[in-house]
Amino acid sequence: MTKFASYLAFAKKSFLGRSAYRFDHFMGILNTILRIFIFWEIYRALYGGQSEVDGITLTMVATNFVLSMGLDAVFFVNDYYLTDRIQSGSIATELLLPVSFHGRMLAENLGHALFQLIFHFVPAVAVCVFFIGMEAPAGIPMLLLFVLSALFGYGVLWTISFAVQMLSFWLINVWSIITIKNVFINVLSGSMIPLWFMPDWMRGVLRFTPFSSIYFTPVQIYLGQLSLSEILRSFLIQSFWIALLFSIGMFLWKKGQKKLVVQGG
Amino acid sequence: MKNDTINLAGVYTRTIMKSWFQYKVDAILRSLAVFLREATGIIVIYLSLLKFESLNGWDIYELLFLFSLLFVTYGILILFFTGLRDFGGTVRNGGFDRFILRPRGLLFQLIFSNADWFAAIGHGGLGIVLFVFSAGKVGIVWNGGTILYYIAAVIGGVLIQGAIFLFLASLNIYLLETNSLKELFYWNMRKFAGYPISIFHRAIQFCMIYVVPFAFVNYFPSQYLLRKEDMAGYPAICMYLTPVVGVGMYLASYGFWRYSIRFYKSSGN
Repeated sequence: MTKFASYLAFAKKSFLGRSAYRFDHFMGILNTILRIFIFWEIYRALYGGQSEVDGITLTMVATNFVLSMGLDAVFFVNDYYLTDRIQSGSIATELLLPVSFHGRMLAENLGHALFQLIFHFVPAVAVCVFFIGMEAPAGIPMLLLFVLSALFGYGVLWTISFAVQMLSFWLINVWSIITIKNVFINVLSGSMIPLWFMPDWMRGVLRFTPFSSIYFTPVQIYLGQLSLSEILRSFLIQSFWIALLFSIGMFLWKKGQKKLVVQGG
Repeated sequence: MKNDTINLAGVYTRTIMKSWFQYKVDAILRSLAVFLREATGIIVIYLSLLKFESLNGWDIYELLFLFSLLFVTYGILILFFTGLRDFGGTVRNGGFDRFILRPRGLLFQLIFSNADWFAAIGHGGLGIVLFVFSAGKVGIVWNGGTILYYIAAVIGGVLIQGAIFLFLASLNIYLLETNSLKELFYWNMRKFAGYPISIFHRAIQFCMIYVVPFAFVNYFPSQYLLRKEDMAGYPAICMYLTPVVGVGMYLASYGFWRYSIRFYKSSGN
């Protein structure tokens, strides 16, 4: 129990730390709103007055952008958590602390994410609903399942980053790898192109990747597009990816620790 | 004297190249990462257009051409204006004081002592790939006139963005910190610039033409070469103004720089 309390303290510290950068935070909100706005305008032009394409209305597309780009702002993962600590050498002392390294990383990321949810997601989505509009959730149960699915989605996103970060033990500069990872997430997760409109072959490939589990699955649940059995399956798929990616990360973590050489610090 | 200046620029360039390319694999990976990151928007629009036929009358090749101008100009820009893009940091860490002590023009040193080669290769390479991919398929007749127009438009586009950097760098002398302003006025407006501005809200179009004139960097030059229907919404003269806007903005920014530099106070170090 005391262990949990210390994680809570890390999360709280991270939450409060965010409130120090007011102007940056304001710019971040503006950034999210502009991104949603740009993609909504592009899709409005692509629709060119058609009320629906393949059974998907423009409001559903707007809902996809608002929710997935909004969640994108909430789903904070510090991609350089491990890298920074290896480079500064502080990893050496942190490994001696009586709390687990990744537990602390998750706690700090979650604290930040909670801050983003309250002070970024809520205002950004409110502005977008006012100017663009979006679908209401397909009932209260679906809304609750959406929240749960989004939590699992964050788990998938977090474990992808967790596994990729472990490469810091072997590479001096992981910036390139992390940037390329983020390109894959941006293109394939559905936040920039709704996955309904992906070419069929691409959707086939996507089924074997974790990307659609991050934002698109929760959005589909929110819109009521999935039946109960499909929802159950989607949770299993998300859990599978979280378990697999976390195992890979832990495997690399164990190997990397043996190899770790701290230069000064 | 003149010869000496060119020599110095050459020495600066070689030194930067050496330091950036010290680690070869890393350099290649970095350039690839920049290339892919910048291509994200294009990959997305390409995939979208497999489903939809056109974006307000623009087909995929025309959109790629529109994108290519943005990246070609940025690739060239970043070879010359990295020092101004990152000027805030130079002022804050006191590095600018060193420049002042040297017997060369300040702007000359800022321009030649720093060039972001990864960004230049990533952005410029992407611009060239897009250009090669699209230029033959959009119905442009490439003759002396259009080639000359294209070159003038690229120079104008580089100067427009260079003027924005130079203006923001000058503001640094008063404000010390302008990263947020750069984010707001340069990077955010640039997000809109990859697409035909006619699809956006009128307020955005106004900003793109009169406030941060990205429309002159790629939209209007593309319109001159492609003649799409949505040009009807704007005065035809806009298609010819890119070099004028570029030179005008650059001279204005340069004047502001010369004026501001007299007020420079070291941040203390």
